[in-house]
Amino acid sequence: MIEALGLSASVGAFALEDVSFVVPRSAYGVVIGPAGSGKTTLLETIAGITPHRAGTLRLNGADATALPPERRSIGLVYQHAYLFPHLSVEENVGYGATDPAFARDVSARIGASALAGRDVRSLSGGERQLVAIARALATRPSLLLLDEPFSALDPRRRSLVRREVRAIHREWGLTVLQVTHDFTEAGLLGDVAILLDAGRVLQYGPPEEVFRKPASPYIAEFLGAENVLAGTVRVLGDAAPDWLAGEGTSGAHYRAIEFHGGGLTISTVGDAPAGAAYAVIRAEEIVLSLDRGASSVRNSFTGVIEEVATLGALTRVTVRTGATPLVAALTTRSAHELELRAGMSIHASFKAMAVHLC
Amino acid sequence: MIALARAVPSSTHTGHRIASVVAALAGSLLLLFLFAPILELVATAGGDGVRKLATDEELRASLGLTAIAATIATVAGVVAATPLAYLLARYNFRGRAILAAIIDLPLLIPHPVAGIALLLVLGRESAVGGTLLDMGIRIVSAPAGIVCAMLFVSAPLYISGAREAFARVDPRYEAVARTLGDPAWRVFRRITLPLSRRGLVAASVVMWARAVSEFGSIVILTYNPKVASVLSYDRFTTFGLPEALPVAAVLVLLALIPLTLLRALRDDRGAAVGP
Repeated sequence: MIEALGLSASVGAFALEDVSFVVPRSAYGVVIGPAGSGKTTLLETIAGITPHRAGTLRLNGADATALPPERRSIGLVYQHAYLFPHLSVEENVGYGATDPAFARDVSARIGASALAGRDVRSLSGGERQLVAIARALATRPSLLLLDEPFSALDPRRRSLVRREVRAIHREWGLTVLQVTHDFTEAGLLGDVAILLDAGRVLQYGPPEEVFRKPASPYIAEFLGAENVLAGTVRVLGDAAPDWLAGEGTSGAHYRAIEFHGGGLTISTVGDAPAGAAYAVIRAEEIVLSLDRGASSVRNSFTGVIEEVATLGALTRVTVRTGATPLVAALTTRSAHELELRAGMSIHASFKAMAVHLC
Repeated sequence: MIALARAVPSSTHTGHRIASVVAALAGSLLLLFLFAPILELVATAGGDGVRKLATDEELRASLGLTAIAATIATVAGVVAATPLAYLLARYNFRGRAILAAIIDLPLLIPHPVAGIALLLVLGRESAVGGTLLDMGIRIVSAPAGIVCAMLFVSAPLYISGAREAFARVDPRYEAVARTLGDPAWRVFRRITLPLSRRGLVAASVVMWARAVSEFGSIVILTYNPKVASVLSYDRFTTFGLPEALPVAAVLVLLALIPLTLLRALRDDRGAAVGP
């Protein structure tokens, strides 16, 4: 378990300020944030490499604030691996290991054992990362800190290693905290997502919640939500209208809300107060259809396609609806079936529950 | 418009050619200035110097004393100054700039002045020198004085080189080693020292070479027994140029050994140690 309570640290002019979060024991935490937000500094502070200025750090329930790095039972993997260049691959993996056989086993699981005879300086970036992961795990730490550890691996190897690290995490009950720029990876791996910016935690919680319910428009945009509308909230009242039940809510504590923004009137549910707010709708929540049909979905707008951008298996479609363009994401196959093209009329719809107000 | 676009690179090209010629000329003149006296010295007296090595016992004793004293000074400097150089390379602390300036000071003061300063501290009239003399340790006019003078003038060069060598090692190697279970001192031994080894050896060679060539402070602290630089000066003032020349030529030839070693180390040292 990693508990940061008001943790602050400085590196040159940069500072981590009042960082608080909890990654429960045996959970997999992911740290996301823009470049220069302090992700690596956070890992180094947890590892005891960067001295803390204020706050408390508890590791596995014990106060570790003043513990030196070698007594924190932490494995640390940097993006650039930092393999010791004067040692062989085998010596690197076994550097901190107390059991050479265990180190060899871990190395084999990660896929680094084939590199044992190689000179460290001849390894590719991806191979270096494999050896660095094996080296960190060979000490059998109780906490693993990973700083973009798979970034140099090819997609196939990345998937395999990611799966193996996840398996080891489950088998050993290892608590992991991983820095990543890859939101898919964050969603796949993380039990807890910590969003960091300018040295502060903006939001943390289950990745699903962070991605679906960003705490601010800035977070929403950083997390790739294309549709962030500024507007005003009007609470329709606690008496839920008849459409509320059809949106898959129990209706218990949700209020019906009308959001006006970008020339659209959007129906949603939630507990947002009346007044200025932002509505966030993820592109994948917007359904495009040629006919309005008989859908029970509350929000349906007719517009004109401005752009169709195909990105491999996914296609992003920009639809001009009044003053506001909405971006929808659908499979490229669906886009082909609908024969979508710029200039054609289309219906864009989304559920009230798909709208997050912040 | 096209003509103008062509004219600009053409004039730039001419400017580059003139700058290259001037730079080459200046460099050649400087090389000639540095090389000519040494070449003349070796050509005139190199053969005599080598022959004297076989026959001149005082010259051999002087060269031996110089090498031993410089080696002792270098070993003492390396042992005492390595932690200091590491501290300066790795840690930001209040007064670091002042400490660095104090360490560099012996490089800037005239070496006879360094000798006088050492005499004040280590002379038999001083508290330190008097106490050491009472303990049977004589500094002035003894080999220990030569070692002290050599250490004083050459240690700053080692500290500077060692500091640079440590700074070239990315501290994240040390960070990783700490997380792998090593305390700081063991990380220094297993990671920092091996990764900075070439730079440290090069800095030691520079220190040794500087110690061997020292004259100004040694001549004040310990004229006798004579180190090589003092012997060549003594031969010059006592017997004139013909007697001093072979000694000077031998010193120049012997100086090629550490210089060649240093160059080999520098060429092999390469870039900073990073991921």
